[in-house]
Amino acid sequence: MKPQNLIALLLFIVGAVWALTRSERSVRNIQSTYYRAISPFLKGGAAIETKASEFIQEVEHSKALEMKYKLAKEELDQKRMEVAHLRKLEAENTHLNQALKFQENIPFHVLAAKIIRRQPSTWWHTVTIDRGDKHGVGVQLPVLSPEGLVGKIDAPSKDTSTVILLTDEKCQVSAKVEGTPEAGIISGLRDTAEESPSLLLRFLSKDANLKPGMLVFTTGRGGLFPPDILLGTIKTFAPGPLYGEALVEPAVDFTTLQTVFVKIPKPLTSAREIGAATANSTKK
Amino acid sequence: MVQQFLPAIGSLFGARILILPLVFLCCSACVSFSSMLVLAFICGFLWDAQHTLGAQGGDPNIYTDPVESLRFGYSIILYAMMGLLMQFIQPLFRKAKWHISSILAGIAIFSYLFTEYLLLNFIRGDFTFPPRVLYRIYLTSALTMLFSPLIFWIIHQLASSCRHNIRYEGLRQKHRYID
Repeated sequence: MKPQNLIALLLFIVGAVWALTRSERSVRNIQSTYYRAISPFLKGGAAIETKASEFIQEVEHSKALEMKYKLAKEELDQKRMEVAHLRKLEAENTHLNQALKFQENIPFHVLAAKIIRRQPSTWWHTVTIDRGDKHGVGVQLPVLSPEGLVGKIDAPSKDTSTVILLTDEKCQVSAKVEGTPEAGIISGLRDTAEESPSLLLRFLSKDANLKPGMLVFTTGRGGLFPPDILLGTIKTFAPGPLYGEALVEPAVDFTTLQTVFVKIPKPLTSAREIGAATANSTKK
Repeated sequence: MVQQFLPAIGSLFGARILILPLVFLCCSACVSFSSMLVLAFICGFLWDAQHTLGAQGGDPNIYTDPVESLRFGYSIILYAMMGLLMQFIQPLFRKAKWHISSILAGIAIFSYLFTEYLLLNFIRGDFTFPPRVLYRIYLTSALTMLFSPLIFWIIHQLASSCRHNIRYEGLRQKHRYID
């Protein structure tokens, strides 16, 4: 081996060992810097993606209409398009109203956030939202939707945050089954399908009397999630040698999720607070 | 940056085009060993900065069985291993056998994802390898491989526009080159 290559190899090994031995805090700082650098691109990309998806939907819709109503008059098509557009607006309005009601009715402070990127990595079930440090979002904060628990904040940066979804194996939640004394830990499955995910509720009694359809809620223990947030419904129960395990169907439809709510300690109301939070996130 | 705009395709078992690893692989086939290591470090570092998950958190008395994640920095090693694979086939470029390099890029991506999943199983225990994971790895590799001629072409165009001569020296001595 050439001396130049040998030196490069040694330097590489030193660099790799340095990277592998970084503490959790250092890794968080690196990630925060990285996401701060790419967040303008993420937001821009999300806007382009939304426009492209709307355009594709529009094209698909137009094609379907063309095939189905080939002989219909142009005026009729136009009316239908208008109705479709109004229905879309109506659906959006209903969705926003639900979100608003949810935000008003829950007993803690939440911050609405929009999902700007889905499933950015190969193996982890994560999404990126358009709220970060400067909006008061911190690590490990619960993320909710009107249907139930979505997950928790994994890596907040200045403008955006990564949310680890409930369907990921690493997102563990202390859970209880309604109407029974059963409690355990629920998490995603490693090999679960994104379009129809299942959750695994472990550490139940081996003789637990669980039936399909029973509701599963958070216990509030463990210091991460508030109590009584819906997680899903029991699908099947299998007793094991020591503990019982149940498959749970999540309450949230993760494929259509667009708006989520981050539970924050208190809302940032004044411009001064937002400024201070921004300055803190910049210092980090 | 381009990688940010390439979502997973749900209908293809969540497969995606991995642009960053592909650009790294194509560059690895065109640069010297030391440059490849520098690239492996940068790409692996960036990859992990984007994808590494944080600690479990919460009360350890309740969450007694935390799920482990791959450590920050593991991708640097995996990228270097992929790059090494590409270094061995540099001489094929001189023979204008670029298509073999494209196929090898696909194989390297497959090996990378496969190793990543095995590592994940190793640190988390409870080995599982369902068919959908294999499909995802295979389809991701195949989709990514399809773009490799384009990346090779861009690299060559960049090299010629900068009047840079790609030498394809590889790791071995001349008389040992694969023909």
